[in-house]
Amino acid sequence: MTWDGQGLPPAARARIERARTDRIATSLLSPGGQAAVQSVGLDPVGEVMGCIVEQIGWSGWGGCGVMGFGGRGYLAASAPTVTSSRGGYGGYRPYVDALYRGYDTALSRMLTEAQALGADGVVGVRWTQERLGEGGAHEFVARGTAVRARSSIRPAYLFSTDLSGTEVTRLIHAGWVPAGLELGISVSIRHDDYATRMAARSWSGQNVEVPGYTELVTYARADARDRFEQRAARHGADAATVSDMSLEVYSIEPSDGHVDHVAHATVLGNAVLRFHAGRAAPTRSLSVLPLTR
Amino acid sequence: MTTDETASGAPQDAASIGVPEDAMRRLAEMRPGQPTSLFTSDLSVNEFLLVREAGFRPLGLVLGSSIYHVGFQMGKWSQNQELGTLTQAMYHARELAMTRMEAEADLLGADGIVGVRLDIEFKEFGNDLAEFIAVGTAVLGEDPPATGGTWKANTGKPFTSDLSGQDFWTLLEAGYAPLGLVMGSCVYHIAHQRFWQSMGNVGQNVEIPQFTEGLYDARELAMSRMQAEAEALGAEGIVGVQLLSLPHKWGGHTTEFFAIGTAVRPLRPDHVISKPQLTLPLSG
Repeated sequence: MTWDGQGLPPAARARIERARTDRIATSLLSPGGQAAVQSVGLDPVGEVMGCIVEQIGWSGWGGCGVMGFGGRGYLAASAPTVTSSRGGYGGYRPYVDALYRGYDTALSRMLTEAQALGADGVVGVRWTQERLGEGGAHEFVARGTAVRARSSIRPAYLFSTDLSGTEVTRLIHAGWVPAGLELGISVSIRHDDYATRMAARSWSGQNVEVPGYTELVTYARADARDRFEQRAARHGADAATVSDMSLEVYSIEPSDGHVDHVAHATVLGNAVLRFHAGRAAPTRSLSVLPLTR
Repeated sequence: MTTDETASGAPQDAASIGVPEDAMRRLAEMRPGQPTSLFTSDLSVNEFLLVREAGFRPLGLVLGSSIYHVGFQMGKWSQNQELGTLTQAMYHARELAMTRMEAEADLLGADGIVGVRLDIEFKEFGNDLAEFIAVGTAVLGEDPPATGGTWKANTGKPFTSDLSGQDFWTLLEAGYAPLGLVMGSCVYHIAHQRFWQSMGNVGQNVEIPQFTEGLYDARELAMSRMQAEAEALGAEGIVGVQLLSLPHKWGGHTTEFFAIGTAVRPLRPDHVISKPQLTLPLSG
C-alpha cells in the first residue's frame, strides 16, 4: 500500500516512535555544539529529517513577455525585468512557488518529527535541493538536531535555525533566540533589448556598464531580499540574519534570434527574536587572546 | 571592560541568566503574522553580537551591484606597462557598486556600513562582462562618539569598512573609528622576455630584473592610489590592508594589483586596550 501523503511516511513514523521509546538521542551536532546548547538548557533529543520529492513540470511561460514569444521581440528597444513576484505574461512564478512548496514541506515534515519527540526546536538545519535524473523530479531535504528546553514553558510553535550549536548558544547568551529558518527566492527574466546588446557587444572595446544586466540582477536580488524579509516577518521576528546569498545568471533562447537572460537569486537566513529588553546583553563576551598560531 | 568584570561575568550558568525560560516565554508569546519592525543583516552571529556590543544597531543589509563591460586593451608584447583602460574599468565599476550600496545605507539613515565585501565575478554569458558587487550591513550608533562629533565620515556620508564585526569591535575599543573603505587598483602588463634574453638565462639561476621591476611598479601604483584615497579622507592610517594580485581573465602576463583597506581616524589620544586574558583553546 502506498502512503497517502498525509502526515509522515510509515518508515519515518516507525523511526520516530522507536526513538521516542528507547530514549537514545542521536544528534548531528559537533561535540562542542552539543555541549554548548546543553549549557543554555537545550537538550538534544534526536536527529530529525523531512523530505519531499516534487515534480516541477511547468516553470511558467519561460519567456520575457516581450512581443509574445516570437522572434519579433528582437526589435524591442527596451524591455522591463520581470520578477517572479510580479508575474504578468512572462516570468517564473509557478516555478518559484513550486520551490517554496518543496522547501516548506521538507521543513514542516522535519518539524513534525521533532514535535513527536517532544522537542521545542531544531538547530543546525541543512536545507538541500537536488534534481533527480532528467525528468522534472526534485528532492528537497531538511535535516537537523531536535532540542528540548529545560523549561516549564513550551513555545507556541517549534523554532528552526541553520545556526550551529555554538552560534545558537552565543545568541541566547546575548538575549536572542532563533525563531525560524527562512528563504527568499526570485527568478527574474529580462529581454536582451537593443541597448543591452549594444552595451554588451564584445568588439566595442569600451568600458561601459551594461544597464540592462545590472537592472536584471538588481531586481532579482531585491525581489529575493523582499521575499526573505516578508517571510521572516511572518514569525514576528525582531531581526533576520542572512546566512547566505547567491545569484546565478544564464541566457536562454526561447525562439530564433530572441535571447533573454534569467537571474536566479536566493537569500537564506534566520528570523530571530529578542527576549532580553535591556540595552546590555545579559552576559558580556570575554575578550581573550587565543594562544594558537 | 576590565579583566575583573569579565572574570566575574563569565562563568554565569544558564539558570542565572534566565535561559531557557525567558527564551521559551518569548517564543510562546509569538503570534505569527503580527507586524514588527524587522531589520536584516549580513553578519555572522559573532559579528552581529559584537557590533551590538560596540554600541551599534544593525539597520539592514545593503547592497550595490553593476554589470560592466570591461573594455579591451593589449599590452605591448615586450614592455612593462599599465593598461589604463582596464584599470579605469575596475575603478569605475567598483565605484558604481559602492555608491549604490552607500545610497541604500543613506536611505536607512545609517551612520556607517560594516563588513563590506567587494566581489568581482566574470560572467559566463558574455565576453568581458563582469558583475561588481558590494554588500554590507548598515549600522546606526546608539550614541554619538564619546569625544563628540558624529560617526559619519567627514564627507557627511556613512562610513564604510571591510572589517569583520570582531575587528570593528577591537578597533573601537582601541579608540579608533573607521572612515571609509579605500582602494587602489592597477592593471599591469608584464613584458615577455625577448628571445635572446630567455636563451641567455637557460639553465641559470638569475633574477629577471624587468619582471621584478614590473611587479614593483604595479604594486606601488596600487598602494599609492589607496594611500591617496585615505589622504583625501583625512585619515590617520589604514588598517587591515590586503594586497591582492587578481589574474581575472587576461592571460598570464596581465594582472590586476589591488590594494584595499579601511582608513581610520583617532577618537581619543590614548589607544590602550584592556589587558586580554590568555587562553589555550582545546580545539585543533
